[in-house]
Amino acid sequence: MTLLIGALTLGAILALLALGVYISFRIFAIADITVDGSLTFGAAVTGILLVKYGVNPLLATGAGFVAGMLAGTVSGILQTRFRINPLLAGILVMTALYSVNLHVMGRSNIPFLGAVTLSSYCERIGHHLFGAAAIDLAGWEVSATDLTVLLLMGLLVGLTALALWAFFRTDLGTAMRASGDNPQMVEALGGNVQRYRVFGLALSNGLVGLAGSLWAQYQNFADAQMGIGMVVWGLASVIIGEALTAAPSIGYAIAGAIIGSVLFRQLVAIALSFGLNPNDLKLVTAAFVFVALVLPDFLAKYGARANRRPA
Amino acid sequence: MNATLQPMVRISGACKTFHAGTINEVRPMRGIDLEIAEGSFVIVLGGNGSGKSTLLNAIAGSFLLDAGRIELDGRDVTAWPEYRRASLIGRVFQNPFSGTAPTMTIAENFSLAAKRGLMRGLGWAPSRRLRDELRERVFELKMGLEDRMDTAIGSLSGGQRQALTLLMATWLRPRLLLLDEHTAALDPKSADQVIALTDRIVTRERLTTLMVTHSMQQAVNLGDRIVMMHKGQVLHDFSATQKRRLRVDDLLACFEDIRRRELLDESAAEMLQGQYV
Ligand SMILES: Nc1ncnc2c1ncn2[C@@H]1O[C@H](COP(=O)(O)OP(=O)(O)OP(=O)(O)O)[C@@H](O)[C@H]1O
Ligand SMILES: [Mg+2]
Repeated sequence: MTLLIGALTLGAILALLALGVYISFRIFAIADITVDGSLTFGAAVTGILLVKYGVNPLLATGAGFVAGMLAGTVSGILQTRFRINPLLAGILVMTALYSVNLHVMGRSNIPFLGAVTLSSYCERIGHHLFGAAAIDLAGWEVSATDLTVLLLMGLLVGLTALALWAFFRTDLGTAMRASGDNPQMVEALGGNVQRYRVFGLALSNGLVGLAGSLWAQYQNFADAQMGIGMVVWGLASVIIGEALTAAPSIGYAIAGAIIGSVLFRQLVAIALSFGLNPNDLKLVTAAFVFVALVLPDFLAKYGARANRRPA
Repeated sequence: MNATLQPMVRISGACKTFHAGTINEVRPMRGIDLEIAEGSFVIVLGGNGSGKSTLLNAIAGSFLLDAGRIELDGRDVTAWPEYRRASLIGRVFQNPFSGTAPTMTIAENFSLAAKRGLMRGLGWAPSRRLRDELRERVFELKMGLEDRMDTAIGSLSGGQRQALTLLMATWLRPRLLLLDEHTAALDPKSADQVIALTDRIVTRERLTTLMVTHSMQQAVNLGDRIVMMHKGQVLHDFSATQKRRLRVDDLLACFEDIRRRELLDESAAEMLQGQYV
């Protein structure tokens, strides 16, 4: 049960990453590798604020979001103002962020031991809510803190999803979606496509930075390596979500990314418990995304050939 | 009309070269001067590659001029980016896929058009009011689309999309309407429908319009002035009075004239080459 709750919690936290990747990958059709750097950046900024400066965890978490937005803005400006290929722009910012993160943290890993984090808040709230350190859930003994963390993360992801859904249905959000769909038309209707793109990438990486910040507080440390390969993780979640919802509407897509993230984390947890070597995790994730990307084309081709065969 | 009235469009000395200094160098604008009075409906004719689309793109701001000046409604817009000029201009492209966002619904597409040139904020899109008005105006198209407001626009036919794009371009009254062969990709029946709609909207709203076409029939039947382009320059300019007397044959004769001149050019060039090389 503890394992399940852990996987659910991490799935919820990484759902924010999936939402960020959804914005860049599906709305703006960019594979934005900035994500790998901005996840760590969010974690690093939150970490140093908590550990070294004892900042209020809510503020420190917000700072993680802002840090991510900053990274996304830089990536966006490289792509628009300087016309650098989006993939390359992402690689540049990600690489630069690696050094930045080491500078921010002062070393490659900072433990949060003793610092007041959102987890410590949850511990207190948990006590308040359940009146004990552990409670009985359908016959399973569950830590009140763990359950509170899960509930809080679920709430946060739900609210974020709702806010995103509402935003993408406003005049501004609709124009941003359209600028991924048909930039020429948006320009002709007076939309500044370049500005939309910068803002979109800022929002996307802001969510990723937030995910990094929460993840670090959940595992109680920030690490310079924690962002590696996370864009692929986000892609996997988005693709699973699309397979499940299969609807082009923005509401379904947002819900899909969240469900995809939680589900993918469950799959990984199960695979690990069945003896998958953690070192192979990234390989398996990459292979999964590869298959998911080529499978539809392959099936279409194979299906067409099968149909053409005389009966 | 009134000679002291300021023209809606004033283009002077407009030049543009693409791929300058390479073997692919093209000069689709070679010093174009053009004034268009408010409320005038101008047809632009010319052979392939004569620079018609480039002229419209230059006015819309898809690129900036190398030399020359463009004024719209008394404002010097020469250095304005495209999205800024959009506050004055409505556009329909040749390709039905260019004018709409395919994965978004009809209503969402119109919510974008309803904010052309305005600040886009956090208002709900499409608003209730827009939806009601939209139903009414789409009903007038008689295409049976009024009950399909939440259908993705990409699933509609080319003719339906061009009709909707035209409605979108004129949803907020533009100071200038640019139509670039907007019926060329359509089957004859849809093309007639869209042309009839164009005529209706332009006449009713008295829109200043610049319309490129390859159809001599459309050129003769529509508009009150014909501008004929050749090699990046305005070759003929028929006023309303001249145009009224114009028939399809006259226009074809004009084209034949251009063709002969071009042949002459080439043979003259050959002769010169023979002499000097
Ligand atoms: N953005 C651009 N970059 C490079 N070359 C261009 C560009 N726009 C136009 N051209 C070139 O300028 C020339 C004039 O093109 P334009 O599209 O204006 O012709 P047109 O009169 O519209 O012809 P058509 O009747 O075929 O549409 C062509 O040789 C074209 O290749
Ligand atoms: Mg053209």
